[in-house]
Amino acid sequence: MSTTTEHTDAPASLPPQPAPDVDTQGFWEATANGRLAMCRCINPQCRLWMMPPLDACRKCAAPTNFEEVSGQGSVYTFVVQRQAAVSGYLDNLPYVVGIIELDEQPGLRLPGRIVDIIPEDVHCDMRVQAALEPLPGGDYVVPVFRVLH
Amino acid sequence: MKQSLHDAAVVGIGRTNYSRKSGRTPTSLAAEACRAALVDAGLTPADVDGFTCFDTGSSSASASAVAHAIGVDDLGWCLNVYGGGNIVTTTVMGAVTAVTSGQAEVVVAYRVLASNTRYGKNLGVIEVDGEHQFAGPHGYLVPPQWFAMFAQRHQHEYGSTSEDLGAIAIQERLHASRNPHAVGKDPITLDDYMNSRWIAEPFRLFDCCYEVDGAVAIVITTSDRAKDLPHPPVYVLGAADSNRDGGSVVQFSDMTTMFSAGTAPKLWKRTGLQASDIDVACMYDCFTFTVMATFEDFGFCEKGEVGDYFRAGRATFGGDVVVNPHGGLLSEGYIHGMNHHYEAVLQLRNEAGNRQVPNAQTALVTSGAGPFGGALIYGTAATL
Repeated sequence: MSTTTEHTDAPASLPPQPAPDVDTQGFWEATANGRLAMCRCINPQCRLWMMPPLDACRKCAAPTNFEEVSGQGSVYTFVVQRQAAVSGYLDNLPYVVGIIELDEQPGLRLPGRIVDIIPEDVHCDMRVQAALEPLPGGDYVVPVFRVLH
Repeated sequence: MKQSLHDAAVVGIGRTNYSRKSGRTPTSLAAEACRAALVDAGLTPADVDGFTCFDTGSSSASASAVAHAIGVDDLGWCLNVYGGGNIVTTTVMGAVTAVTSGQAEVVVAYRVLASNTRYGKNLGVIEVDGEHQFAGPHGYLVPPQWFAMFAQRHQHEYGSTSEDLGAIAIQERLHASRNPHAVGKDPITLDDYMNSRWIAEPFRLFDCCYEVDGAVAIVITTSDRAKDLPHPPVYVLGAADSNRDGGSVVQFSDMTTMFSAGTAPKLWKRTGLQASDIDVACMYDCFTFTVMATFEDFGFCEKGEVGDYFRAGRATFGGDVVVNPHGGLLSEGYIHGMNHHYEAVLQLRNEAGNRQVPNAQTALVTSGAGPFGGALIYGTAATL
């Protein structure tokens, strides 16, 4: 029988967990397998990348699949979150979230934390590289971004 | 005969007190505001055959339930619209269209918010679906973060500053100091603004709207019937909407702009008006930057010039246009933009007391922020 002590800290809160559907599960399956992949039209005349994912291309209605991307891109914009506002991020403040424009296509963007950098050094158009990290909660792997050297 | 927007008019406005914690249900608050609007219109619930409201799925009360709560037994037209500030124009125009198309003769449109919804935080453990499943795991989930992203990009491209955002907050608070109904009445200085705590940098506390409990309602009926009612009718001169990039705050193509880059040209074209024709501008202001971006998009000034515009006194009494004479969502209180409609009608009736914009004949009312939103222009009989 386990014992508890009243001095134990409460368990850390968990961040919001993804709730995949059949159109998005390919993204999460890829990250779980160590790959960053985005939804893309398979029509050779189209080949549009799209976010959020769809089962049929939003331009030509052809089928889509998930294709690996380089993970390289530029910080389109970012915020430095300094107030506890979202579960899972109540203690580790501040943190930086960026909207990253991936190199694969203009306007193809992915949100993600920008890590291993002091907030004052983050700037728009900064080049970054994705890396995959487990999301607290145990079920998902998410992309985070670091400065690309 | 072809139906015209001018065949309908706003004839009544009502609202509750605004407070941080009312201890009341949404139904109670909404019913009070709707009753007040009908009294103001010189009508009774027995005259009402249409009802509409908008909500984001919680902390609200349905149009049919509120109509029932004030004694209306049968509605010929009832529309619950799903959405936030982006959908106010659509909701009001739904009421106008119901009247001009003969589906209803007297329509009440309202918005209510109560304490169990506050948009700035989400502290419970949740699952997020749709597009938010890619953002939520990173602690990126709540509105201050979304629109701080826009502000950051604007600062990067156009060199706008914290001081520029502060100029908007300071001006609106000064306006609210003349408004007994406002929750934020104490004027602030630039030091107060700069020293207010960070929320989501580049947003500080005073960049964010003042969330309250309360309700606002307006009554719309036919122009014919309006002639016999107590107040001068207020007409809609035109309306427009824009919904871009799937309503996404991640994929929105140019974050130095907002929906208004699409809405404004449509609205000016439909009305034949331009920014210089507007006397009162009730700019949707969930955050200071929402005013900055939409004000530029509507053509009141060039990109990057909003701070100077406000500091020069051009956005207040005696200037070019009075922006949010009530103090807006930043300082009067956040009723999701429905309070902007209340203020616009009050101004065009010349009933705004010590914050009356002299000889106000036209009022622009915008609704929404980021990827989607709308706007309409109200006018007096003289503007038809």
